[in-house]
Amino acid sequence: MDQRLVEATVGAEAKVSIYADVVIKERVPKGYRIKALDEKLRKERTRLEARIQSDARQSGVSTPIILDVNDYTIVMERIKGDLVHRVINERIAEQVGETLCRLHAAGIAHGDPTTRNMIVSAGRVCLIDFGLAYYDGGVEARGVDVHVFFQTLEAMYDSAQQLKEAFLRGYARYCSDAALVIDRVEVIKLRGRYL
Amino acid sequence: MIVLGIEGTAWNLSASLVNEDTVLCEASAPYIPIAGGIHPREAAQHFAGSVASVIRQVLRSIDPDLIDGVAFSQGPGLGPCLRIVGTAARVLSLRLNVPLVGVNHCIAHIEVERWNTDLKDPVTLYVSGANSQVLSYRHKRYRILGETLDIGIGNCIDKFARSAGLSHPGGPKVEHLAGTSQNYVPMPYVVKGMDFSFSGLATAAQQTLSSAPVEDVCFSLQETAFSMLVEVTERALSQTKKTDLLLAGGVGANKRLQEMLAIMCEERGAEFFRPKSEYLQDNGAMIAYTGLLMLSHGVKTTIESSAANPNFRPDEVEVQWISG
Repeated sequence: MDQRLVEATVGAEAKVSIYADVVIKERVPKGYRIKALDEKLRKERTRLEARIQSDARQSGVSTPIILDVNDYTIVMERIKGDLVHRVINERIAEQVGETLCRLHAAGIAHGDPTTRNMIVSAGRVCLIDFGLAYYDGGVEARGVDVHVFFQTLEAMYDSAQQLKEAFLRGYARYCSDAALVIDRVEVIKLRGRYL
Repeated sequence: MIVLGIEGTAWNLSASLVNEDTVLCEASAPYIPIAGGIHPREAAQHFAGSVASVIRQVLRSIDPDLIDGVAFSQGPGLGPCLRIVGTAARVLSLRLNVPLVGVNHCIAHIEVERWNTDLKDPVTLYVSGANSQVLSYRHKRYRILGETLDIGIGNCIDKFARSAGLSHPGGPKVEHLAGTSQNYVPMPYVVKGMDFSFSGLATAAQQTLSSAPVEDVCFSLQETAFSMLVEVTERALSQTKKTDLLLAGGVGANKRLQEMLAIMCEERGAEFFRPKSEYLQDNGAMIAYTGLLMLSHGVKTTIESSAANPNFRPDEVEVQWISG
């Protein structure tokens, strides 16, 4: 196995180290929490993230294969390809719609579906970072996911409107109740609370 | 500009006069329940009996002709209390023939502390009896990035305190007892995305009283609830990329909560501003000062639209006094 470190990032919750073939995500301790609670939360969340990510994969959504799970770390396959953030076009936006709809149909909300948490690899859109994912197939949870994705489009691309429409074509293809979700996105948008 | 402000959303009835630079005068008549928690009708009766004398006290310190406007807490809060303050403010505004302005209580907590700290654009954790929210300014509104899905943190602690036989307000007593224990009993930790829930925690803490010493339950309740708040606050800092944190509301007086926020901020290189305790609790000055900001930017409330708004959300207010 190739052991070279390619990149390391630290988020609000975890440290992510990207090696040539694998990605290691480690939940870091928080000094403000007492040890008992800190360890319990980090263990539970690591387990939950790994479970959701592999459940998503079993539902036909492309996600990194999980190679190993320890108390606070997940070792997973490194997906090689381009971030959707860099290569998005209408065809890819449509694929993102299909992918997110498939995830939602499996009763899973991603929690943070920004264009930096998606990779185009071998012609498929792969979802990464299930750190904020949860089991909820309800209209609200799905609406928040779609809204978060739209927000990143609006912030980044001049062609946001066309990309949104392409996304919705893909989303409606597999989700028969897409109209309900789209209506909810409007309500969520007016609340103006998700960034 | 000089503005007279009246606060009265729940327990503290307070009137104050402020100008751009300072608090000129403040008078308060807090409602203290004889037994149990805040009873809305009794609180409102107390307000009705005291509002004239509280206002008279501040009016005595100034020539009433110098007053440029009257501000009042329009919500969120207990309806019966809000209606007393609203009535008093309407009368004053008509009598003095100056504009009236209805102020959002949550925004007033933020503005009075921005005034004290000179912070331009912080993330605010606002924690009181009824309210628990993480707020951040963007595009003319204070956005609610995260909030309780059910009861406020203070309410959660007070409910538990009552069933543990501790008198109102329970917060300081729970804090004291928590400081004497190190034994953590697992409690429900409920963070959903950016939101959190305290009602299950309050019930669990009450039930744990039958199997664990009260100090241990106090300690575990505080550690669980505050960890939830700090986690969401940290995520808000991370998402907004802001680097200043404000703490507002009565529960902000808790030393353990302050300590946890300070550690979180230090670990991520953010700045935490420890609040002065006199501005954490509800006060008339915060209403007067926010009213002054609004009036000086042309925002007024007509008599017709001055009805009490018990569920007034901060993101309903268009923020005219911040540019950008």
